[in-house]
Amino acid sequence: MRAARQIIDRITAGLNVIGTLLIVAIMVLINADVIGRGFFNLPISGVPEMVSMSIVAIVFLQVAQAFRMGRLTRTEALLNILEKRSAKARALVELIFSVGALVLMWQLLTASWPLFVKSWVRNTFEGTIGDFTAPIWPVKLIILIGCTALMVQLLMLAISSISVLTGRTLPPGDEK
Amino acid sequence: MSGFEIGLLSLGVMVVLVYAGFWVPFALMLTSFAGVWLIKGSPILAGKLLALAASETISSYFFGVVPLFVLMGYIVSVTGMGRDAFDVANQIFRRMRGGLGIGTVGANAIFAAITGISIASAAVFTRIAVPEMVRHGYTKRFSVGVVAGSSVLGMLIPPSLLLILYGLLTEQSVGDLFIAGILPGLLLALVFGLGVVTMATIWPRFVGEKISGPQLVEDHLSLSELAAKGLPIAGLILLVLGGIYGGWFTPIEAGAVGCLGAIVIGLGKQRLKWSDFWQVLNDTGLVTASICFLIIAAQMYSRMLALSGVPAGFGSFVATADIGFWGVIFAYVLLVILMGTILDSSSIMLILVPLMLPVISSMQVDLIWFGIVTVLAVEIGLLTPPFGISVFVIKSSLDDPSITLGDIFAGAAPFALMMLIVLIAVLAFPALATALL
Repeated sequence: MRAARQIIDRITAGLNVIGTLLIVAIMVLINADVIGRGFFNLPISGVPEMVSMSIVAIVFLQVAQAFRMGRLTRTEALLNILEKRSAKARALVELIFSVGALVLMWQLLTASWPLFVKSWVRNTFEGTIGDFTAPIWPVKLIILIGCTALMVQLLMLAISSISVLTGRTLPPGDEK
Repeated sequence: MSGFEIGLLSLGVMVVLVYAGFWVPFALMLTSFAGVWLIKGSPILAGKLLALAASETISSYFFGVVPLFVLMGYIVSVTGMGRDAFDVANQIFRRMRGGLGIGTVGANAIFAAITGISIASAAVFTRIAVPEMVRHGYTKRFSVGVVAGSSVLGMLIPPSLLLILYGLLTEQSVGDLFIAGILPGLLLALVFGLGVVTMATIWPRFVGEKISGPQLVEDHLSLSELAAKGLPIAGLILLVLGGIYGGWFTPIEAGAVGCLGAIVIGLGKQRLKWSDFWQVLNDTGLVTASICFLIIAAQMYSRMLALSGVPAGFGSFVATADIGFWGVIFAYVLLVILMGTILDSSSIMLILVPLMLPVISSMQVDLIWFGIVTVLAVEIGLLTPPFGISVFVIKSSLDDPSITLGDIFAGAAPFALMMLIVLIAVLAFPALATALL
């Protein structure tokens, strides 16, 4: 179990690094466009398309890591009060929440799958022919990967909540 | 159940879920999924709505620069430009009563002109200004309060991520919105400054009984030191704002240019370490992912609401309720402030602005002015319990466990009140927002 967790966390962190590199790429790209256009009259074609596709990729590459680090917005005021009364009660609520979120992400994943298939089969692209075109399918694939990675993180939260509930581990103090 | 009832019910369910501690994006997703299922009677259709929103919502050039604005804020903070702004502001205000407090406000106003997010200002000045103020006899409560209060300037003085988001939602010019934010931003800084002096004089128990007078502020900057600290910041402000209004790049591209400018200055001053840079990049990614994931979920929610007919029904309710123009505006501001107690700024705007837009545009309201009103009202929410992002950021940046969340909320309360005064001023005198246009 611990080994599995380590591998999963490493993959999640790996996706995060790719997303981070994409952010740097966007920055370089926009600056190159601004400088090229302003000083050398040489705009780069397709920058808006590349940026708008990259941001989707960035978000889905990093959302699992954001979840793991506890960055997804939530109000823990009431949960913390509950935890002071009973750690198990909190674990139960966390379990319900994570299962609920899992079901939702499953819906999102299954509904996103046809979008990927369509973009792959028809080889749809972004941009205008003759100027700049880029295939859409990689982004749609990243959405699927990101949803899966987030589901795995949710699953791990559910498992650790169960082990708190069954009393096999102490309430997590070192992890979020 | 009619669509309208389902829509209203979903609002109630969402609020309960958020209070119970469900992740906000999942709460939005769940209510939109269930809502569409109930309205259309098909879970497949509901799933499709989620998937389309996920792949389409943020796929635009505008959202592409969200990480760059965040990154720029972080880079200027790790390169020590926040510290420089603080030193310069203190040099100017050191002879006044409560000088360090005013210095913090001033430094935030300067810093706001190079960053577009409040959390960057809150994190930076917690580390710089709070220890300095506590050392000079200010109470901890006031010290964190003034940092929390003045951090909101980051979103009002251009560039501002919230104004960009508003511009997107309402199809208004982001450049115009930025100009409209200048006067209210400066007015807010002025009111904060006056508030600090007044409180230091008449309420020393809150500010600090034995705050050091002007003679005790020992560090005195020479003219060349002042220039060394002030010029890079001035240069960056000039680059970002000058570039936008000189037509070299769009407000959206300004995030990327500002980032590069901050990196160049950081490297030039030999203050940007590789490890810091990587850390900051990673943080940027996490903030971006959580903001954008939230935006996606909020978009699902507003699509569900549109299906339910709540915005249209709400509009006709307002029109027939005959509460008039001011009735609508006050109800809206009140709703925004109330939602600000539990939600973060971008969620509130994403939920409420599309809801109000049809109502407001039918009343011939100036949408630029309305944007400034919205941002001001939304920003009050940064300071109000139980959910105040600025306050949370300050708590997590503090090294001092003796300062509780409650202390920070209490310290920020007078500043939230001052924001309310400025909001009323902008409501009463729309020229504050539109005069420079």
